Amino acid sequence: MNRYQLIESLVPILEDALVVCNIGIPSQELFSICDRDNHFYMLGSMGLCSSIGLGLSLTTKKSVVALEGDGSMLMNLGSLATIANRSPENFVLLVMDNGSYGSTGDQITYTSEATSLSMMARGAGCDNVIECAGIDTARVLGDTIEQRVSTVIVSKIDPGSRPLPVIPLHPIILRERFRSSINS
Amino acid sequence: MGYSQCSTCTLRDIMKTSISEQLIMALKAAGVDFYVSVPCKLLAGQIQLLESDPSVSYLAVTREEEGFGICAGAHLGGSFPCILMQDSGLGNSVNAIKSLIQLFQIPIVMLMSYRGSPGEPVPAQAPMGWLTPELLRMMQIPVLHCHHEQDIEDIGVVVSHALVTQAPVAILIDFKLMGEEQ
Repeated sequence: MNRYQLIESLVPILEDALVVCNIGIPSQELFSICDRDNHFYMLGSMGLCSSIGLGLSLTTKKSVVALEGDGSMLMNLGSLATIANRSPENFVLLVMDNGSYGSTGDQITYTSEATSLSMMARGAGCDNVIECAGIDTARVLGDTIEQRVSTVIVSKIDPGSRPLPVIPLHPIILRERFRSSINS
Repeated sequence: MGYSQCSTCTLRDIMKTSISEQLIMALKAAGVDFYVSVPCKLLAGQIQLLESDPSVSYLAVTREEEGFGICAGAHLGGSFPCILMQDSGLGNSVNAIKSLIQLFQIPIVMLMSYRGSPGEPVPAQAPMGWLTPELLRMMQIPVLHCHHEQDIEDIGVVVSHALVTQAPVAILIDFKLMGEEQ
């Protein structure tokens, strides 16, 4: 299972959550599979997906799911410590770990070698860390959202991306429709 | 009663509202309700106040860039955020401010200790300090530069400017102004 197929399997579960999606091809794939107002597509600021999600979860009661990548998570590992200590129950960090920088030509990341993001999350102090295969991720995410327990999910998938165009929406339109979905 | 035992300060000095209290009161009065910080010894007083204030959200973050991400999310959730940091943190955050905060037009207050300014005892703070005002100007971030206590009175109007323009604003606090509180 690659990231596109993983996102396809997650989309039905994400309908009622607020979704912050990682910059680049992950956002383009989500947009192409299913575009909804409750999706915040990052257009820049690589590395900050988990942080945007955390800030959002601290200021809303709705379930928040940050769809992060392994390469971008490695850029902001301190975020795992903040999440471990301050994350509210409505926050799920889901790392789509394909061991590669998918938006820049599939260069490998260190998670394809010795590095384990789930062990790093545990070391940071996160209580609920689940590493699972891509095919099991939709079930794990569904259970996690239902239980309302702050969780880090590391979903191990294969590399590979769809060639897709840049998202043709203005940032302010994205921001405003996302805000409307929070209040709906 | 005990105050009279202090020969170098008067009762009026002791009762005076500290710079830290004035800063936090001004931010809260202007509607800022969500705070993150990367520590600085000049911000210790403000951080202590925020930690014990149940009327606002406050959390420490590990790095300034992360703080901007959390503040962006908090604003999407309906809060008005502020990041407390040293001016050195501006250098760590250029892309986050440009491609997240300014791209999505997110109002945020950057309360920054100006470590490179006169009075600073650490030479290593100077090079970033020289750059800070120019970098803020180049990044198109409006600045309130607090040299003296009375400058704090302008915080309200600058913070409102962030909301009106849907943009970041910076408040630079001179070493000398905060240093007096240390």
